[in-house]
This record gives sequence, structure tokens and C-alpha cells, in this order.
Amino acid sequence: MALTKETYEALSDIVGEMNITDDPATLDAYSWQTENDVASLTREPFHFMRPAAVLLPGSAEEVQAIVRVCGSRGLKFKALSTGWTGLAQAFAPNELILDLRRMGRIVEIDAKNMYAVIEPYVTCAQLQAECMKLGLICHTIGAGGNTSVLASATSFLAGNGPDSMYQGYSGETLLGAEWVMPDGEIVRTGSCGFGCGWFCGEGPGPSVRGIFRGKGGAAGGMGVFTKCAVKLAAWPGPETLPVSGAPPAYRSYLPENFKFCTVVFPDWQRYADSIYKLADSEITYISHRQFGMLGEDLGPALFRVFSDSSKTLDDLEALVNDPETKALTDEVRHYSYQIILAGMTPGDLGYKERVLDEILKETGGHIVEAYATKEFQAYAFMYLLRLPYKHLNYVFGGKAQVFRPDGAPDFAIGAVDAMSAVLAKHQARGALPQTGGDSMMSALSGIGGGGDFHFEQFDLYDKADEKSVRAAWECVRDAMRNYGLQLQPGQHPKLDGLHGEELQEGILKYMAQPARLHWQWKMLEMMNPKGTAEAETYMKLQKNPESVDVS
Amino acid sequence: MALEDYRESMLGCSKCSYCKFIPLAKINGLKYAEGCPSVAYYGFHTYSGGGRLTAALSLLEGRSGYTDKVRDMVYGCQLCGACDVTCKVCRYNMEPQAALEEIRAVFAGDGQTLPVHDKTIENLRGENNMMSVPATGRGGWADGLGLKDISKERCDALFFAGCRCGFDESVKKVARAAAGVLKAGGLDLGIMGDGELCCGGAAYNLGYREDFARLAQANIAAWKDAGVKRIVTPCANCYWAFNRLYRQREDFGIEAFHAVQLADKLIKDGVLKPAKPMPVNAAYHDPCRLGRLGKPYEKWDGETTKIFGTIPKNDPPKPRYNGEGGVYDEPRDILKAIPGLKLVEMVRSREAAWCCGAGGGVREAFPGFGQATAKSRLEEAADAGADILVSACPLCERELADASAAKGGKLKVYDIFELLGTALGGGDF
Repeated sequence: MALTKETYEALSDIVGEMNITDDPATLDAYSWQTENDVASLTREPFHFMRPAAVLLPGSAEEVQAIVRVCGSRGLKFKALSTGWTGLAQAFAPNELILDLRRMGRIVEIDAKNMYAVIEPYVTCAQLQAECMKLGLICHTIGAGGNTSVLASATSFLAGNGPDSMYQGYSGETLLGAEWVMPDGEIVRTGSCGFGCGWFCGEGPGPSVRGIFRGKGGAAGGMGVFTKCAVKLAAWPGPETLPVSGAPPAYRSYLPENFKFCTVVFPDWQRYADSIYKLADSEITYISHRQFGMLGEDLGPALFRVFSDSSKTLDDLEALVNDPETKALTDEVRHYSYQIILAGMTPGDLGYKERVLDEILKETGGHIVEAYATKEFQAYAFMYLLRLPYKHLNYVFGGKAQVFRPDGAPDFAIGAVDAMSAVLAKHQARGALPQTGGDSMMSALSGIGGGGDFHFEQFDLYDKADEKSVRAAWECVRDAMRNYGLQLQPGQHPKLDGLHGEELQEGILKYMAQPARLHWQWKMLEMMNPKGTAEAETYMKLQKNPESVDVS
Repeated sequence: MALEDYRESMLGCSKCSYCKFIPLAKINGLKYAEGCPSVAYYGFHTYSGGGRLTAALSLLEGRSGYTDKVRDMVYGCQLCGACDVTCKVCRYNMEPQAALEEIRAVFAGDGQTLPVHDKTIENLRGENNMMSVPATGRGGWADGLGLKDISKERCDALFFAGCRCGFDESVKKVARAAAGVLKAGGLDLGIMGDGELCCGGAAYNLGYREDFARLAQANIAAWKDAGVKRIVTPCANCYWAFNRLYRQREDFGIEAFHAVQLADKLIKDGVLKPAKPMPVNAAYHDPCRLGRLGKPYEKWDGETTKIFGTIPKNDPPKPRYNGEGGVYDEPRDILKAIPGLKLVEMVRSREAAWCCGAGGGVREAFPGFGQATAKSRLEEAADAGADILVSACPLCERELADASAAKGGKLKVYDIFELLGTALGGGDF
């Protein structure tokens, strides 16, 4: 719905004429999310709802002023940073999108106290590179180095990644935040709220991290976070990572005090056992099932493509049939993951290697030699550390995702057969890339220190083919309806507006709804009583009367 | 090709924002992580590679129509190719650069061009240059160099100066220096003088495909008439036009080089010996159309089938244009061959280079944007420890030099042949 001239001018006065637009084509670019195609069952991921305008605020004060205009004129708002999620779009009429890309400053890196204060548009890759110069590193979420540190820390999903066993997930790394609430009040949380710096999220000062973020984040429904502080960890590597090679096969080098390896186990049980042991021993710097996501049948061949700039998808078939790759594919099938060990002192790496050897002995695991070449280590080190290639999730065009509820590794492996079966069944129908039933990725822990675990099954499809889009959706629906598997919380709901009943019937009704969502809904109602901060997505799920309440 | 042919690229955008940055592996901090000048300046997602694809699809689908803002969005872009490189890191069926070029052709076809570009093209149609000046005097840059007139005498190679070197007084020295160096290396060069026509590359970039086609056809015919076997140019845009665009139209059977390629070989063969010391830290700026867009076109005539269900496979393998195969090493090797000169690398180098700001018609239509882009490049060079910034394209040199002058001229901008010419004994540095 178009803004009135008066409202447009009031907003323009806040951000400046250059930083507001209601041009239809521009708005459409903000109505585009890759998930929309699966939700709408068409090839075209335009959402039916266009924002009324997009603004580029440059400061918390500008955000505050915009929010107040929204409150006084019956508008809604939602903020986004890099915006790589289905929820980063307008879902309500009269909604403003605040694109926070002008707020991309690193306010401070306190090396002594090991935290960074950042604005919304600082990406994981940028902050990581700055931190490395000081012997520190930040948490990078599994979605990759292109994502906003703040968005994940304050607002959206769990945010775990390859470093989570060592560093924790985004909610854990969050310290204080500068928060423009839905009514426009600016609150500074944690120790920052008491005027004594950003070092602690729990106070002195208001400790409201659990309220505004909880486990999964309100994805915009709680207002706008304009700054936050995140914990940093030790980086025992070089100040900068030299990069060589041609795209996409960029590589750095494996410093002497690091070790990269892919390890493989005889079965799921011993796979799970190894994860507990890694958590108990606290030896890993990076631990992730990263190479599994492109499929048990195609993954190893695809990583040969990605790590060699002379290769393309045109070489895939030959590589899959190459005897060496075939042997590797069989070797790493199902029960493998990647590890990086980091030596913090001269003796530390040796100690960690010995512990790993012991764990492998106890679990019947071994290190995969084919991935131990110097060249591949140099590639994989950069890959796992920064996740700079994660749009390879879309190497075949599209990606939907299915995974089971979080739990201990023992619990999660109980779902792998169902996850593989449902994907294999739908791949066999011919409209999906036949990657193999196990196309699962996972951090080895969803929380710092280990314990929380899940698999993410990659339901890859071809966006350019409507049959493939539909097949991906049918796979998701089948996974939830007939196999009891859960869709990523907060990933798709309210996309139901696109085709209402079918999605409602097919997905939401069968979606597990943990108790935490109910609590967050109550928080939302308190903090955002007028609904000025648009919350039509994540939380709305709780209002579905047909939902299965598993709390 | 038509815009419809790029529908798959439009649909394929995953909105990951990679197109806004340099390849993430190359990021070295907060500064200089941006890869796309346009979204860095204008801010809205729509000004990124992915955003433009989506906006174009919106237009194609009739969801939105032409507006002034849409025109500004389409033309407020240097078509520098940075988004194309980063998108194609691990994406194999995306062609953002080609789609963005096609969008302009659609705009031009629908009369949705900018008045400033229309004027330039109007002049091009009469005077065969993009500098909005009469054709006479185009060959004046070569006065006194003793180069052959190719319409009268046969020679080893045609030296093609390009419009910028032909008419822009501040960069005529680039053509003189390049031709002088190659001549000193024993190359038998000829020129077309006032008869040289625009390469047409800029017209292509603005979307005026018919004007490009006319010039390509006329140039190829003139070269064939004159028995030209090799062309050498000091201009990155001309190099790109000949090797990428002309070859896409037809296999015209004439080799086309940038002058740095020949000069580098002459140095490596021991023919040219830069001896004069230049104790200076120099950063090399990769021109977009010599670097990441510089891979020559390779004809592909094959079939696309599906493997493993839905994965496209091209047989034979399709050539890929992802920033590899550009002219990156030759200019660096030339600079390294100059005694005393220390080459320093900027964060954004080679296929990840930041654009100078001038290309794609931005210098003419959005000078403020162009200069902001150039200033960012100067800062980056200074931060890399450079005393001077060197390029291999007269358009880059002009844009960067203007920005340098506006900033007080502390960091000087040179063309690589100005330095090489001096190192070979051609005057003071």
C-alpha cells in the first residue's frame, strides 16, 4: 500500500531523500526471497506483499525516529541487514523495511576483554578478518561469512556453526545490545545499560537477552537492534590469511599449529559417541559435518569441482565415476565430519592430536587420507574457518531444508533413517537432483561445550523448473506429515499467505511447536502490544489453532 | 540473446548478498570488503547484482514499469563485473553480468536511455567517437612518433589508440608512451590516424547494440582491407571489445592484444631492458575489462543435457567467464622489472579489483558516483603503502587522476607505459 505524500516526506526528513524509496521495482527486490518459490509452488520467489517503502537509516536515532513515525501513523516496520532469510521481507500491509546497510561500523574491538561492539551490517567475514589482526576470532554461523553478526546474535534462529563447540552459538556469544523497542524507546542492555561498558550481557544493567532473543529470536518482532557486543575467542593463527588460487578454489595455507582432517566412523552410534568424546575433551576449534550437505553420492565429486578452478559442473559426471572419487565417496558416506584442531601453545596441538587419536581408537574411526593432501587442507582450512562459499547451498538452484528437533547426538541419529528415506524417495521421482538420501549438514554442537545437536537435511532442487520446486515442497510436506520431521523453526511460517490452506494443511499443522515459542509469543505481546514491529512470521505460528502443541 | 534468455539467472538469485562483496575468502577486514561500487554508493539492495536481476524480472513480468529511479538504477552501474565474479564462486548457472548488459539493451530498445548518453551516441553516429567531439584530429596523438599509416603501408601490427587516447588531452600521453615502448622493442606499428573508429564497446555497454554492431563490422572490414593480422591497444575497454564482444559476433581471424602483453614479452625476451631506477611503491589497479572481464570469448557449440535428475551438463564443457583468464600477471611483471620499483598489492586486486568508477557510462551520467568510487580506490592504494597508483587503461587513469586532483594530488596516478617508457630512458619520472 502506498504511503501518503505527507508520511513519505516525514520519513524522508529523517533519513534524507537518497535513503528512502517507494519505487515499485526497487520494492520488488525486497519482496524476493529464495524460499518464496517453495512456499508459493511457482518458479518465482516474489512475495505477494510489497513493502510500502524501504529506508536506509544511518543511526540508532534515525531508526528511533522512523519507529516513532510508524507508531503514530499506523505503520509497521521490520529491519534487516544482509537479509538472507525468508523472513527478511514484508508480511503486512503498510510495512516499512529498514535496510540497515548504512550501519556497518565496528564500534570497538576490546582485545583485552575479548569482545567486539558492532553495528548491524558488519558481516562475519569482516569481523573475523579484523579480529584476526588482534589474535582473536568471532563466531561465524553455519550460513556463512556473508551473514550479519548482529542479526544472528540478537534476532534470528539459533545461529550455530562450525566453531560452536568451541565458541557457542550466536545467542551465547551475545553480550549487550542497543535496542530500539517497538515503541521507539532505546534500551541498552547488560553492563552497557549501566554505563560501564559492554563486557557482560547479564548486567549490571537490564539483563533481557532471554526476553528479546530467547533460543530462536523474534526475527524482527521485538524491534530493531542497532548495536551489539559479541564475545570473541582466541585465534592462534596469523594476523591475515594470505589467499591464493583462482575462483572458486581460493585457498590459504594450514599454519603449523593447526590440523585439518576429515574423520569417519563405522556406524551412526560410534559417530554419535565420538561427538560426546570431542565435547568432553574440548579439543576441537572447528567441528562440522560440512561436506555432507551436497549428498552422499555427489558430495566428494562436487568438492573436487569446487577446489579446482579448472573444473565445473560439466565435469561432475566424470568425477562421480572416477574410481578414486568413487572410493572416497564410499569411504566418507554417512559417518564422517570435519575437524580443525588449533594449538594454542607449542605442546598443545600435539596433545590434541593424541587425544583425537585416542578417540578414534575408542570409536573405530580413522582419518580420511584423500582429504589430507596439503592442497586440500589449504582449501578446507579457509572453507571451514570463514565459510566463504556457502552460497554453494544453491549450486543446483534452490535449497529447502528439513531437520529434526535439536537434541543429544544419540537422539538425533535416531532420525537419520527417516531423513534419508524421505529425501531418497522424492529424489527417485526424478524432479530433484539425485544427490543421495543423506544430504545432511550439521554443526557438531548447537551450543558451546557440546550437547545440543541436529542434522539439517538439504532438500536441493532446481529453481528454474517448476516441477522441481513442487517436488522440493512435497518432500518437505512428506517429511513433516508422514515422517514426523521438523522444519526449521521460523523458516517458513506465514509464507502461508502465498497459498494459504495448502501450506497450513501441509506443514504448519504438523509442525512441532516447542514450549519456547509460546513463551516468546507472550514476550512479544508484552513488548510489542500494538504490533508496530511486524511479527507476522515466527510468532504467528502459535496462533494457529490446529497446531500440534507438544509443549 | 534476449532478456528472457537470462530468466534462469534472475530466478536463480538466492539473495545471499555475495554480489555486494569481494570473494569472501579475500576479505581482509572491514574496509575494502565491498565489491560492488553501486550498492556501496546508493545503498539499496536493488543496486546490487542480485537486486538488479530481481528488479529486471519484475519489469519483465510486468509487476513494475519504467520510472526515473529504475533508469538510474540500471545506468548507475559501471558494469564492472565484480558481482559476476563473486556470484560465480560456487554458482555455475548464473550469468549476472551478461544479464545486466542485456537489461540495458532492453532499455535502449524501449527508448529508456539517459539524455546524456543519447547525446554521446548521437555524436558517435556522426563522428565515430564516444568523446562528443568531431572526428578530425583523432590521430594527432601520434604526431612525430614515426608510426606508419596502415592504409598506405603494411606493418606487423595495428596500434589502436581508442577514443579516449585519441581525444582526451590528458591521456594522449598514454598512447604515445605505449606506442613508443613497443616501437623501441622493435615492433613495426601502424595506425589508422583520423580514420580510426570507436571500438563500440562503450555503446554496447550503454545498450545501443546496433551502434556497436555497425562499428564492429566497420572496424573488422577496415582491418581486413588493410591486411591487419595483429592489433595492439593501450586501452582496456578496446581490448575487451575486440576479444570478448567482436569474437562473440564472429571469428574475425585477427589477434588482439593489450600493449602490456606485448611489452611484457619484449622484456622477458630481453629486448626491452628497463634500467632507470624508480624508487617508489606502486600499486597496480586492475582495469575491469582487462582483468576480470578480459578473458577472450571462446565459441561454444554444444548440447545441454540433465544428469543426476536435474543437474545441467554441457557437452563439450562450456567456457566459463568468472574472472579467471584475465590479463593480471603481465602488468605486474612489467612493474617488477623496473629497478627500484616496489609493487604493493591492494586488498581488492585481480578479479576482486575495485572499479575506477568511470565505466558503463557512469563518468558521463553520474559523475559524483564515479568520483566517489575512484576516491575509495585512491584510499585503498594509500592504505596499501603506495606512493603512486598505476593502471593500464586511459579511462581508469583519467577517472582516478581526477579524483586524485580533487583530493590534493598527493597520490599520483600513472599509466603503466608512462613508467615503463621512463624506465627505458624516456625522460624523468
